[in-house]
Amino acid sequence: MKNKKALYAVLGVAVLGVAGFLISQALSSSLVYFILPSEYARDAQSFEDRRVRLGGLVQAGSVQYDEERLHLTFQVTDGIAGYPVQYGGAPPDLFVENGGVVIEGKFQDGVFVGDNLLVKHSEDYHPPEDGQPIDIEELKESLR
Amino acid sequence: MDLQLAPLGSAGAFLAFGLALYGAIAGMIGAHRRDARLQTSARLSAVAGFIVASAAVVVMQVALLTDDFSVSYVANTSRIASPTWVKVVTMWAALEGSILLWAWLLSGYTALLAVTAPLTPLRPWALSIMQWVQVFFFGVVAFIANPFDLVAFPPLDGPGPNELLQNHWMMAVHPVLMYLGFVGLTVPFSYAMAALITRRPGTEWMTQTRRWTLTGWGFLSAAIIAGGWWSYEVLGWGGYWAWDPVENVSLMPWLTATALIHSVQVQERRRMLKPWNLILVITTFSLSILGTFLTRSGVVSSVHAFGAGPVGPAFLVFFLIVTLFSFGLLAVRWDDVRDRADLDSLVSREGSFLGVNILFVALTFAVLLGTLFPLLVEAVSGDKVTIGAPFFDQVTLPLWMLVLLLMGIGPLLPWRRAEQQSLRRNLLWLGAGFVVAGGLAVLFGVRKVYPALTVALAGYNLVSLGLLLSGALMPRLRLARRPALQVLRSYAHESRRRVGSMITHLGVVVIAVGVAFSSGYRVDQQIRIDFGESVVFEGYTLTAVDRYVERTPQRISAGAVIEVTDRNGRLVRTMRPRLNQFGDRRAVPTPAVMYTPTHDLYLNLNSTVTPTTSFVVLRVVKSPLVTWIWIGGFILALGTAYSLSGSGRTVPARASARSELAGEEGASA
Repeated sequence: MKNKKALYAVLGVAVLGVAGFLISQALSSSLVYFILPSEYARDAQSFEDRRVRLGGLVQAGSVQYDEERLHLTFQVTDGIAGYPVQYGGAPPDLFVENGGVVIEGKFQDGVFVGDNLLVKHSEDYHPPEDGQPIDIEELKESLR
Repeated sequence: MDLQLAPLGSAGAFLAFGLALYGAIAGMIGAHRRDARLQTSARLSAVAGFIVASAAVVVMQVALLTDDFSVSYVANTSRIASPTWVKVVTMWAALEGSILLWAWLLSGYTALLAVTAPLTPLRPWALSIMQWVQVFFFGVVAFIANPFDLVAFPPLDGPGPNELLQNHWMMAVHPVLMYLGFVGLTVPFSYAMAALITRRPGTEWMTQTRRWTLTGWGFLSAAIIAGGWWSYEVLGWGGYWAWDPVENVSLMPWLTATALIHSVQVQERRRMLKPWNLILVITTFSLSILGTFLTRSGVVSSVHAFGAGPVGPAFLVFFLIVTLFSFGLLAVRWDDVRDRADLDSLVSREGSFLGVNILFVALTFAVLLGTLFPLLVEAVSGDKVTIGAPFFDQVTLPLWMLVLLLMGIGPLLPWRRAEQQSLRRNLLWLGAGFVVAGGLAVLFGVRKVYPALTVALAGYNLVSLGLLLSGALMPRLRLARRPALQVLRSYAHESRRRVGSMITHLGVVVIAVGVAFSSGYRVDQQIRIDFGESVVFEGYTLTAVDRYVERTPQRISAGAVIEVTDRNGRLVRTMRPRLNQFGDRRAVPTPAVMYTPTHDLYLNLNSTVTPTTSFVVLRVVKSPLVTWIWIGGFILALGTAYSLSGSGRTVPARASARSELAGEEGASA
């Protein structure tokens, strides 16, 4: 009786340990951070070779779309920093200059290569008047 | 206006709230004092509550169908141009209406219970608990999210329901199934609470609610599969499960309910796992409330988030009350519920049930963690993070495999302790099934681990079902000397619960194979086709023949006509992926799907089509065996219904086998 209880306890702890190990491994490898270009600029190293969701506004005049090869490039910016984005696909329906976007992918040599592009047409965010700085916190909140 | 619907509906909601409150309190006092008159009065109030709630639902339907925009809910979510079926289902296309539906179904179950449930010491308390849950739901309808608010200056037309929801008829089915599931699982919760209150924590509460639990579970299973099919047909990425928070929160109560329907059997047969079953039934109910809070409050982002509002906090408070009350009650009664019996051997039916319980709880925990972890990270560090599908796949796939493993061996093991000889024989057969099926899979080119493993486990499970069936039929055949088919028919007729579970498990196997292949071998590409030109994709030739525009009062569709030909140049299908626009709402891409038994071809429009565009951009997905998931879901629902079609009583295993055999002999003599 006693032995059996001890056996179950040991088994239980072993199962929990293995599960905990698997879960923590999976968590650390599949946590995807949501960042703005300026946050990447500040701490590029820690996002090296990691999948992130990069949010920002589409820089006016930067959009180039190759209809033949379905290849889209543009600059994403938050007013402080900006990075070129490459995306292999057609621009989504509501993709416009100065509009909010979130791209999922990885940085490769300073270029963000995305495989998923979402347009955020948020009603909460109001782009600043000309000459006014962008409110970073508000931008981030509206894009999430 | 002669008859004002808004105040009429509001009156119904308030009256239903009042009746529920009266029934809850009167039922409690009646149960406490053993006052039969008060108890009857509480039962009558449950019936009256259902009638009043039904009247409120009728008022809402009339308002929707007659486009009465003086009712706030209609003004906010309906539209004159919608076809009739859309107007009917608009009732649950937004927050206020969906809570009204939930409350109404709950009052229906309570009334049914009040009328049909046999009088037991548990019934008065259980009904009172059901009524308390109703107090919350009708309270939300009446005071917090009243869909019947009067609009002083009614608009001429409304915006119509969310475009994603009115884009598919599945919207009429999936939410109703989901609520029927949640509400069904409220019944065992109420009886369990009644059992704790009356200090009768034996098997009564579960035997009296066995069919309710199974019904709730069946509806929840069907709802989850229907939801997957909806998202496949509507969302345009060619998948059916994205580990979206809303999917996760519907899966969690299903996981604990699945654990529950297995572990109650251990308590019925072996008088074990008493506290465990109580914990499971409480957790299941709590998780369904927590899920509603998470998705309805905007805490987690999801398709189902109807925006922030006071309803979220109300559900949070209710969740906390339910959890504190029920676990508190369990703690107070802990001495009554502790197990006295002990496991004889791990290699036994109850051992396998215990194992599968641990697996389902681990799955629940993993899903809960993955859903809530982003919130934790943000609360602690302020970083905004998401947890993608890779986490859930990585953690849950091994566990699902173990579930399939136990599903095969468990039903073959006898209660108490397995006999060495028969165990060895069964394992040999199962192992053979595993090796043959897995070998065939590898031979036919399945090289990915999980799909190959799933096929192997599917073979192993089919052998297990065969062994179960032959084990049951062989002795009967020997005794009865009748044609095999007749014996099979009478066995299927007599042992509905057992045969139903076999059918359900078969459904699970079919779903597992479908999921493994459709996720493991899907091909997903964006391609551009000029009109008049063709592109080859995975053995098919896709030709963009034409563009088309179609107008109905409800919507404008603009799409492309794509002809699909196979390798021999034979035309297999003309597909029309399109964008649908409902009124002023955002245009939604609407995929075209070609279903075949071996694979689906899925086309979604990724560019707008106008009369002047010269090309079309398509997302083309080919995924194998997707259809198997829907067929498996159907088999699973069928098995559940078959289980339920038998008599509700439970018979001890040995006695029933003997009486069945005796009956057979009598019939053949």
